[in-house]
Amino acid sequence: MTSATDWNALADEAFREAFRDLVERRLPSELRFIRKQRPLFDEVSVWYHALAEEGWLAPVWPVEHGGMGLTPAKHMIYVEEWGRLGCPRIPDHGLGLIGPLLLEHGTDEQKAYYLPRILTGEHVWCQGYSEPNSGSDLASLRTAAVRDGDAFVVNGQKIWTTLAHCANWIFALVRTSRDEKVRQKGITVLLIDMTTPGVRVRPIANLRGETDFCEVFFDDVRVPVANVVGQIDQGWDVAKSVLGHERIFLGATTRPEIAIERLEKLARARGAFEDPAFRSRYARHRLDLYDLGSAFERFAKVLRDGGELGADVSMLKIFTTELYQRITEETLTLAGEDARYFDDIEAGNDQVDAMNLFLDSRAPAIFGGSNEIQKNILAKAVLRLPS
Amino acid sequence: MPQSIFDDSEGMLAMLRDSVATLASRQPGAASVRQKRAAGADMDKVLWTAMAQAGWTGILIPEDLGGAGLSLTEQAVVSEALGRALISEPVATGAVFASILLARADASVERGRLVAGLVDGSLILAPAWKDGIGRSVSARAADGGYMLSGEKRHVDLAVSATDFLVVAALDGGFGLFSVPAKGVGLSVETAHGVDGAAIGTVRFDQCWLPQAALLARASSEAELLDAAITSARVALAAELAGIASRAVEITIDYTKARVQFGKPIASFQVVQHRLVDMWSDAEFACAAVVNAVETLADGDAQAGRMAVLAAKARAGDAAVSICRRAVHLHGAMGFTDECDIGLYLKRAISLNATLGQPEDLRLEFVNLERAA
Ligand SMILES: Cc1cc2nc3c(=O)[nH]c(=O)nc-3n(C[C@H](O)[C@H](O)[C@H](O)COP(=O)(O)OP(=O)(O)OC[C@H]3O[C@@H](n4cnc5c(N)ncnc54)[C@H](O)[C@@H]3O)c2cc1C
Repeated sequence: MTSATDWNALADEAFREAFRDLVERRLPSELRFIRKQRPLFDEVSVWYHALAEEGWLAPVWPVEHGGMGLTPAKHMIYVEEWGRLGCPRIPDHGLGLIGPLLLEHGTDEQKAYYLPRILTGEHVWCQGYSEPNSGSDLASLRTAAVRDGDAFVVNGQKIWTTLAHCANWIFALVRTSRDEKVRQKGITVLLIDMTTPGVRVRPIANLRGETDFCEVFFDDVRVPVANVVGQIDQGWDVAKSVLGHERIFLGATTRPEIAIERLEKLARARGAFEDPAFRSRYARHRLDLYDLGSAFERFAKVLRDGGELGADVSMLKIFTTELYQRITEETLTLAGEDARYFDDIEAGNDQVDAMNLFLDSRAPAIFGGSNEIQKNILAKAVLRLPS
Repeated sequence: MPQSIFDDSEGMLAMLRDSVATLASRQPGAASVRQKRAAGADMDKVLWTAMAQAGWTGILIPEDLGGAGLSLTEQAVVSEALGRALISEPVATGAVFASILLARADASVERGRLVAGLVDGSLILAPAWKDGIGRSVSARAADGGYMLSGEKRHVDLAVSATDFLVVAALDGGFGLFSVPAKGVGLSVETAHGVDGAAIGTVRFDQCWLPQAALLARASSEAELLDAAITSARVALAAELAGIASRAVEITIDYTKARVQFGKPIASFQVVQHRLVDMWSDAEFACAAVVNAVETLADGDAQAGRMAVLAAKARAGDAAVSICRRAVHLHGAMGFTDECDIGLYLKRAISLNATLGQPEDLRLEFVNLERAA
């Protein structure tokens, strides 16, 4: 096996080639370009385990913890190829969120216990931040953890927890104390085994009729104090530091790229490119996507040069989520009367999931900080506008 | 909040609105949509029967044929109220479209039977006018009657229908045929509609009909269909305006009740501006519907057609875009199936796509205007 330092030393093209080769060998064709946005662990475990065996599961984790130790530049290639080759999304909260969180803030014991279990798939994680009354205003969260000897007793509720119904661990933000002036204080990151008595999960169907997210209820759930990550009451800073360079991916071109591929397929099948009115509407979307690539590159360059991202990177997230919506709306327009179908619609000998993508495009403008919240942050942190 | 404002000196329109609201309070639209969807059905028979009893399946049928003999004003008011209540029965096609087709057909025993059944709800009529690509329906004389072959798409009520009203090419012109659903050579395939109702594709394979099945004939398809399409578009525009208006109200209520950062989210200026835009769009939709109804009534055919195109485009765009923004303002809640706002969005998309999307309607408007 090639050691991780070699991955970074590899020329970009050779690295791409290695990834493609892996996909060819290990990803079953029926798992490529699947329709489901959020497959359950069991549905994609073959791919998950294959990546683990090949040492490709954790691109940014350090080598000593079983990762590839990729630089941001190489990681971007990894993500790009993943999308281009139609790899299915794997339950990635463990790899992408809790792993990095533990690497930065975890104790040696925590790292030694949890990280390998993420790689084997024994632990499947979900992210318990949002609550019914704490969405955009996350710092108002109320799920309570009260100290009782060497354990916390947790009571409360999380909601919109993606994949909670196939996860066995949740990393939750809980309230351990209350500071009336600074609400961000008194929040703690707690790792909770979801098989503990008192944890209950209720899946919630979404607009697409799929159940990707859930409610998670905690009723006198005992969690060892050893499961705190970082300092008690200082969880807000721990949680916020986690994304780092990966914030650039919130602004990736992936979703609008998928959408425009569908639009083009339908347009070809219906001869719409012969219609000047359509061509002109299409041209706008096409160049929006093209220009998003340029703007993405402006931030990617910062990472490649070893720099850090600022708050301004959020402009990508706003643009890409709105573009995703515009393109899927255009596809419904082009579909004409077929836009009445929930099912996929005919495009020549092929099918296009026009409604599926249109409905899906409602979500990214909301999750990961809604676009209004992103704009509030940009107004303050970048433009320094007055209150 | 937004509503189509017609002259209502007798209070008749207000009464109509009230009776739709009463029906909706007994049989909530959202629950009916969910049931229909779960069952893979194309209609809610209980609701439809109640609507027929109230006289809403025969609003546009002349009195001498046994209908209510009312105008598009009353139809628009009922359709708008149904839209608000999310009572998602295919009124625009199964009642309005069918009524106009029949009202303009030649007098016959068969027509009498169909009209009576439509008015009292004992028959379910499914107009089928849109040909499958490369499979248009044609009729030819055979064995003292007619033989139909081809395919119709986007047919509402295709499963529940007792009778189809089928437009078919005939002898260089076109004919309107009454086709019993149980006829030999007729088959129905369905797909899921986004608004929860099944949508049919109807195939005719050497489907034989007696002479009496021919209800009307004309030299062009337009001659047979235009009046029905125009009225159905008005009904659709009104229903869309109702959906748009109600979606604004629901979102105002939600954002006033939803507290984040210690305040109702409706107190944030960005949210307020968005709500104002949504409200204004709904008002424009309602005004366009009124304009369509009144311009049609004035009798200038060209002006009437243009007003209807404008109204359907305006109301369709308004409903869809208002509902999109409404879903967004509901946050993750709006992305759930449990929350009714998503059902409004889906219904809006479906009606917006029926009988012409805004892009096409606007082009037709400009083409008409420039040809004049
Ligand atoms: C598909 C999906 C998956 C998710 N997965 C997870 C998960 O795994 N774990 C998790 O913890 N959470 C998850 N979430 C929750 C997500 O983080 C929240 O939806 C998000 O933070 C918004 O909160 P909310 O839904 O309560 O909306 P609210 O905060 O109630 O916002 C409603 C609307 O008001 C607007 N608004 C709010 N505040 C302001 C303001 N100050 N100024 C202007 N406008 C404002 C918002 O932009 C939005 O349009 C998921 C959400 C979705 C849709």
